[in-house]
Amino acid sequence: MPGFSLDLARPSRRHWLGYLLLAPAVLLIALIIVYPLFVSVDLSFQNVNIARLDQPRRPFTTANYERLFASEDFWNACWVTFKLVTIVSFFCFLLGLSTALLVNNRFKGQALARLLVALPWAIPEVIAVVIFAWLFDSSFGLMNWLFIKLGLVDQTINWFSSPDAAFAVVCTVMVWKGYPFVSIMMLAGLQSIPEDFYNAAKVDGARAWQRLIHITIPSLMPVIGVTLVLVMLWVFRDFSIIYVLTGGGPLKATQSLSIMTYEQAFGFFKMGYASAIGVITLIVCVIASRLMIARAPDNI
Amino acid sequence: MRRKTTRHALLYAGVVLTCAILVFPIYWLVVTALSEPSQLRQLPPSFWPAEPRWGVFGQIMAERPILLWLGNSALAAIGAVAISMVVSVLAGYSLSRFRVRGGQSLGLFILTAKMLPATLLVIPLFGIFRNLELIGSLWSIILAHATLIIPFTTWMLKGYFDTIPHELEQAAMVDGCSPLGALVRVILPVSAPGLAATALYGFVLSWSDYAYARTFLTNAQGNWTANLGITTMKGEYISNWSDISAASILVALPILLIYLFLERYLVGGLTAGAEK
Repeated sequence: MPGFSLDLARPSRRHWLGYLLLAPAVLLIALIIVYPLFVSVDLSFQNVNIARLDQPRRPFTTANYERLFASEDFWNACWVTFKLVTIVSFFCFLLGLSTALLVNNRFKGQALARLLVALPWAIPEVIAVVIFAWLFDSSFGLMNWLFIKLGLVDQTINWFSSPDAAFAVVCTVMVWKGYPFVSIMMLAGLQSIPEDFYNAAKVDGARAWQRLIHITIPSLMPVIGVTLVLVMLWVFRDFSIIYVLTGGGPLKATQSLSIMTYEQAFGFFKMGYASAIGVITLIVCVIASRLMIARAPDNI
Repeated sequence: MRRKTTRHALLYAGVVLTCAILVFPIYWLVVTALSEPSQLRQLPPSFWPAEPRWGVFGQIMAERPILLWLGNSALAAIGAVAISMVVSVLAGYSLSRFRVRGGQSLGLFILTAKMLPATLLVIPLFGIFRNLELIGSLWSIILAHATLIIPFTTWMLKGYFDTIPHELEQAAMVDGCSPLGALVRVILPVSAPGLAATALYGFVLSWSDYAYARTFLTNAQGNWTANLGITTMKGEYISNWSDISAASILVALPILLIYLFLERYLVGGLTAGAEK
């Protein structure tokens, strides 16, 4: 069938089939991502309590945004989110990079060590919350016993009723859940550094820490950049860990923008107002992912 | 020579200590599940269950609808993975083999779609699904999970198809296969391991979701997924940590098993669209 054969190697291999194959994906993404995004932007400019698509839209108003920028809760949520993103990303990197460097050495049982180091990645977030809620339980939790044993505190801490303590627990869970991703990415990056670099450095008499500073870290830089953006975005957007662990409390100490969006939408049924918060987070996410894609131009 | 041995011993000590600390929470989950509830209220705590109660898993399944929750999670994940695999095999193949106008920007959009906040998307989706009368039905999260998964799987599969030489399809087409026939008969069999890894990765994404399930299924107890069920157990006034831990192990087990199988492919999945 010469008329129907298709030379895929031709430089101008434009073909109706290519479009046809993309159609289902485009259709689904349009229906369940693009259209909802438009709806939520639209909602954020209306005074809507419960989103109903079968009713005529309310008049256009910027009241939601005005209320938002005047609201103390919103600025508190921004501050909480900022603290979370900074602290959690920092410790995820510290732990992730050091464990990656550790298990990147050659030793017997290296494969097992790698498997174990990244194990928390495989624990669903909700389950991670259950584990830590029990570890930090105020009456019989292991952490209180440990802290008293080590002489750090002299009486049990009520982790979930003190704002600072609750914030610390949220950070702990997020770091434990997030550092394996950094480890995995860093290990992949470490694998791609040519052995010759290190051999040449050894010949020149470079010490271990010099090799780390002058070879390993600079070679990892591109991977570090992309991983950092991904981790920050994950913390920025995460909902389930905080929601199940503290629900945003106590006293809104752990109420990030994600939690506030959800609370307003499904706790108080102020969906227009919640969409306005969501649109702000969306803008941050899009800018961040654009930055990431710009840093990694050759993957497109 | 001696310095080398010391360094080796230090390295081992470091590795063992690090792994022990980092994996301890998972170990503690297992110990808690196997301990008698009365034992958990003793200080100092015992780091080893005196008489492990292996029957706890059977007991928890009898007391709570855990099997139903796990079944719902599995149904949702299988449905979402099935939809997204079909869609993303086609899309990934197209992005890999055809110069489609707008393909670049679609690729960019797919990458961005992975970064969207679920908390924003659930609001309009709630409205849309309410109109379609899907709230409370598993279909709501199947569709929501499918779109959560498609950006990942499309990108993974595109990368995978890129590694398969074009000569394979060309040979098949010389033998009289249509392009689609070549995809089904030649490309898919060759990429079976990649397809399996991608599907399992999608399964993990769906299984781990809480936000969509919490929003669309809260009032439909019969359709609760495992994660949603677990959180309701945690919220109870008297938390029986032993039972919750046992249930949690059952929920985490499928993902742990997948992780053990998938570890080699994990980097590909995590870095899909992010690697240099």
